[in-house]
Amino acid sequence: MKKSIPFEVFRYAMIALALVVALIPIAWMASMAFKPVGEWSATGADLTWWPKHPTLFNFNFIFGQSDTSLIVALEKTAAKPILASLLSSIFGTLIAISAGTAAAYGLSRFGAGKNLPLALIQLRIFPPMAVMIPVMIMWAFLRLNDTWFGLALVYGIVTLPFAFWLMKTFFDDMPREIEEAALVEGCSRWRVFTRITLPMMRAPLASAALFVFIMNWSDYLIALLLTSREWVTIPVYMASLSSSMTGQLYGAKAALGLIAAIPPLVLGIAIQKHLVRGLTFGALKQ
Amino acid sequence: MSAIHLRNLVKRFGAFTALKTMDLDIADGEFMAILGPSGCGKSTTMNMIAGLEEPSSGSIHFSDRDMAGVPMGKRNVGFVFQNYAIFTHMTVRQNLAYGPTMQRAQTAEVNKKVAEMADFLQLTELLDRKADKLSVNILQRVAIGRSAILKPAIFLLDEPLSNVDAAFRAVMRTELKQLQRQFKQTMVYVTHDQLEAMTMADRIAVMDHGVLQQVGTPLEVYNNPVNTFVATFIGSPGMNLVKGTPTETKQGLRINLGAIGKSPILPPALASNLKSRNSEVWYGFRPENITVGTKADDLSLPITFTERIGARTIVHLGEGLSMKAVFDNETPVTVGKTLNFTLKPEHVLLFDGTSGVRIGMEAAHG
Repeated sequence: MKKSIPFEVFRYAMIALALVVALIPIAWMASMAFKPVGEWSATGADLTWWPKHPTLFNFNFIFGQSDTSLIVALEKTAAKPILASLLSSIFGTLIAISAGTAAAYGLSRFGAGKNLPLALIQLRIFPPMAVMIPVMIMWAFLRLNDTWFGLALVYGIVTLPFAFWLMKTFFDDMPREIEEAALVEGCSRWRVFTRITLPMMRAPLASAALFVFIMNWSDYLIALLLTSREWVTIPVYMASLSSSMTGQLYGAKAALGLIAAIPPLVLGIAIQKHLVRGLTFGALKQ
Repeated sequence: MSAIHLRNLVKRFGAFTALKTMDLDIADGEFMAILGPSGCGKSTTMNMIAGLEEPSSGSIHFSDRDMAGVPMGKRNVGFVFQNYAIFTHMTVRQNLAYGPTMQRAQTAEVNKKVAEMADFLQLTELLDRKADKLSVNILQRVAIGRSAILKPAIFLLDEPLSNVDAAFRAVMRTELKQLQRQFKQTMVYVTHDQLEAMTMADRIAVMDHGVLQQVGTPLEVYNNPVNTFVATFIGSPGMNLVKGTPTETKQGLRINLGAIGKSPILPPALASNLKSRNSEVWYGFRPENITVGTKADDLSLPITFTERIGARTIVHLGEGLSMKAVFDNETPVTVGKTLNFTLKPEHVLLFDGTSGVRIGMEAAHG
């Protein structure tokens, strides 16, 4: 079908608009990250959109280099929060994906407990705050407070329903005949799962893992409640970047935000091919 | 090598009975086609033979061995599925080698078998291609090869050619038959396509609504259908059936077919089988046995539609009767004109007007 020119113009205008809305905050963050104090500070005289004197000062600052232009010294550098975020998000994702995949496979193939899939969403019915207060108390009792593995465990539990539901849909869509063919040829159930099913599920697994990782990586509330000194994560640390003298340290926050954007971005690009496949899953013609 | 014996086989899914008391014997090395429309229970039967489903009651024996509780991996059956069930993350070679590797064959042995099978199925050049990049025709070939490489005693094929294109289907029909001749396994072939059943099978089991209707050689089920279902299902197009009542005339017994006319005189054998002379019967004859007539006492029907399919012409007769005639392409037919036609008495079959059972075969059908 040949599309009319006005329609095409309209279409691209809409795409451009959506891109602008999505990208301006990121562009702003990026520009902010490279500005010297005077160009972002509320008290500064040189407020500007584009950095006039680009500098790496903000990056150096959050990694511990003090400077006379900011009469602030940081209690701690960004290194530990980055490590905390990485550890808790990665292990949380591993927990959610492995438990979620196993549960999804079991329910999809053996269908035990019709209400179980729905029951799993219960975790997400309540406002997170309502659930997290009891969890905080339990974690304090178990001495899991302010540890990266305590946080990873909660991340795993909280994102499990997403991993489960995503994987269950994919398993439901996978033709059973493929597994039956392997079974008829003398393969055990376990081998079918590890050698046939999981390798064919690479694309869905990758998309589910990325999705869950981003949820964990961007969490603020849970980390705020469960960590305090040692293992605060990037979002919590970022919120603490302010001082009574200068107010919010926007430049430092932007620099940290830029760093925080790297892992999801890299992960996303790495599995982009799989993402598309994951969304158009269904290897066989019916 | 193995024969298959099904005894009183029943399969229920909740309240729904997919298979009602099936008895079937498939001889060692036989090519048996199970033929029927969708939902007739043919795939269910096949799945129970493979061990994918447990029978609700009844038994399955492979030769003398009761298969109850034997897991599918231990049954020595090969299974080819309608949607290929190819492991798309592997190459063709890995797919073919899968079964032998699972059964812990030596690598050299596996390679030899894979090479042989690839050669037989003309897959040698594609061995190192990733399976998800291949056409459906090739995929089904790989699937057949993957099952056949294990030399199973029983080879089960569940509508394997339904998804491939028409030209390739014709090629595969020949190849499957050759494959079976070469390996001499017992083959059970589920299909809804009678052409596949007629061309390949030694015998055909016709099923409908979970009930086995008739078992016989392709010509038996074509020439001697036991009931109206088999009569209309087998043949392309199927048998014509017209309801009529027997009427005695001076020359002998005829069937009054209403608007179509009066049938030719029934042969004595057929007439004597007709126990009740008052109840309605189905008067059956094959479209290909119709000959154009001219006489006044011929049967007649208006021509409503013609399908010219090359060598033959299928002529649709009468409004809403789903009656057809098949002529060669030289016979003049005009839509809207009336066709006078005759039938040879030996080409006529009678079926009970209510039960649909072939008259004269009631006892055999039970």
